[in-house]
Amino acid sequence: MSETPTTPPKDDSSSLAAAQPGPVSTWLTQQGFEHDHLDPDHSGIEQIGVDAAVLPIIAAALKSHGFDYLQCHGGYDEGPGQHLVCFYHLLAMREQVQAMAAGEESTLREVRLKVFLTREGTPTLPSIYGLFRGADWQERETFDMFGIQFEGHPHPKRLLMPEDWKGWPLRKDYIQPDFYEMQDAY
Amino acid sequence: MSETTPSIQSPSITAVRDLREASCGPIGAPAVTNDLSENVILTSLDDLHNWARLSSLWPLLYGTACCFIEFAALIGSRFDFDRFGLVPRSSPRQADLLIVAGTVTMKMAPALVRLYEQMPEPKYVIAMGACTITGGMFSADSTTAVRGVDKLIPVDLYLPGCPPRPEAIFDAVIKLRKKVGDESLAERRKHQQTHRYFTVSHRMKRVEAQVTGSYLRADSQRAALAAAPEGQLLATDAAVLTPVADAVDS
Repeated sequence: MSETPTTPPKDDSSSLAAAQPGPVSTWLTQQGFEHDHLDPDHSGIEQIGVDAAVLPIIAAALKSHGFDYLQCHGGYDEGPGQHLVCFYHLLAMREQVQAMAAGEESTLREVRLKVFLTREGTPTLPSIYGLFRGADWQERETFDMFGIQFEGHPHPKRLLMPEDWKGWPLRKDYIQPDFYEMQDAY
Repeated sequence: MSETTPSIQSPSITAVRDLREASCGPIGAPAVTNDLSENVILTSLDDLHNWARLSSLWPLLYGTACCFIEFAALIGSRFDFDRFGLVPRSSPRQADLLIVAGTVTMKMAPALVRLYEQMPEPKYVIAMGACTITGGMFSADSTTAVRGVDKLIPVDLYLPGCPPRPEAIFDAVIKLRKKVGDESLAERRKHQQTHRYFTVSHRMKRVEAQVTGSYLRADSQRAALAAAPEGQLLATDAAVLTPVADAVDS
């Protein structure tokens, strides 16, 4: 996950370096949803950058557009002074299953949403638990590891680390506190 | 005496009778004494009690890591620890031996202590493997491993290895049996573990636990579901939003 997103072009004239918008981005543009289309990843999966405020709206729109399965949600840190990123990998599962059951030729539609958050203060974005129940623990883990708050999450607490842990372990500027058990005095 | 003693290692009962015949003079061995010594065992209460206990050390089925894989091998027919009277128990109330097999983390520590406390006296603990003795390979920089279970519970026997082979566990059990056999009822509880590590009194404050156990019944859970977008409620959400009035209690 070391990729750095190209600065999203504001107008199409300067977007020679950026790839053509994919089908999902085109559809979002038709529907009038503000978003940035990013370069596809190494395996050609379309990536879309969205603002934190509109994430639930766009996720809901995509869900109604067929992307009914949140395959993966997670976060990563771009590096010192750069963004914390939340990503949502969506699959169009139902139509794929229906196509397979009918014996039709079809390729699974996939798209990845990315939210670029500033690391100053408390990065916050709305929870999509209302749309995808499976986001519960995944958002908790992202909160646990990166300190990204999910507003409206049913259980906004750590998942893996001890509940009284300080700091966000997977941030690149994290320094593990000097852990010294008095037991070590053996 | 020596020329009349049969030169076999353990004399059979006929050999013992022959010996008595030969050494009791012309009258012959008294029948009453003969019957008594063949059928009655004279021993001390301590020995009898110890013998009963050491022959039925029932270990608790407790394992947290790879050590338990070795320990579990003992249950099978290849190593067969039933021949030592070890019968694995799944309840601490029926067990008198706790073989701490595997790394103990701070999250596991309260559970381990509670298991130990629920075992009936007299009880024995074998610290099995490097992790339970010193923290093992986690002792350098782990944030969670307990550095030796003897900080939590008194340990009778340290069994090193990473993990120890099943034969080593047998060795530990045999050594523990010797220890059990040496004990005296009168001296029970006189030997306590000393305070064997340096501690300071903490200055921590008690705070509300975040993990309360009320996951689906939490208010925040209901609020999150109530805030779900239009048309996104699932059939399973109804049970959370409108729970059946606590009928479980009655």
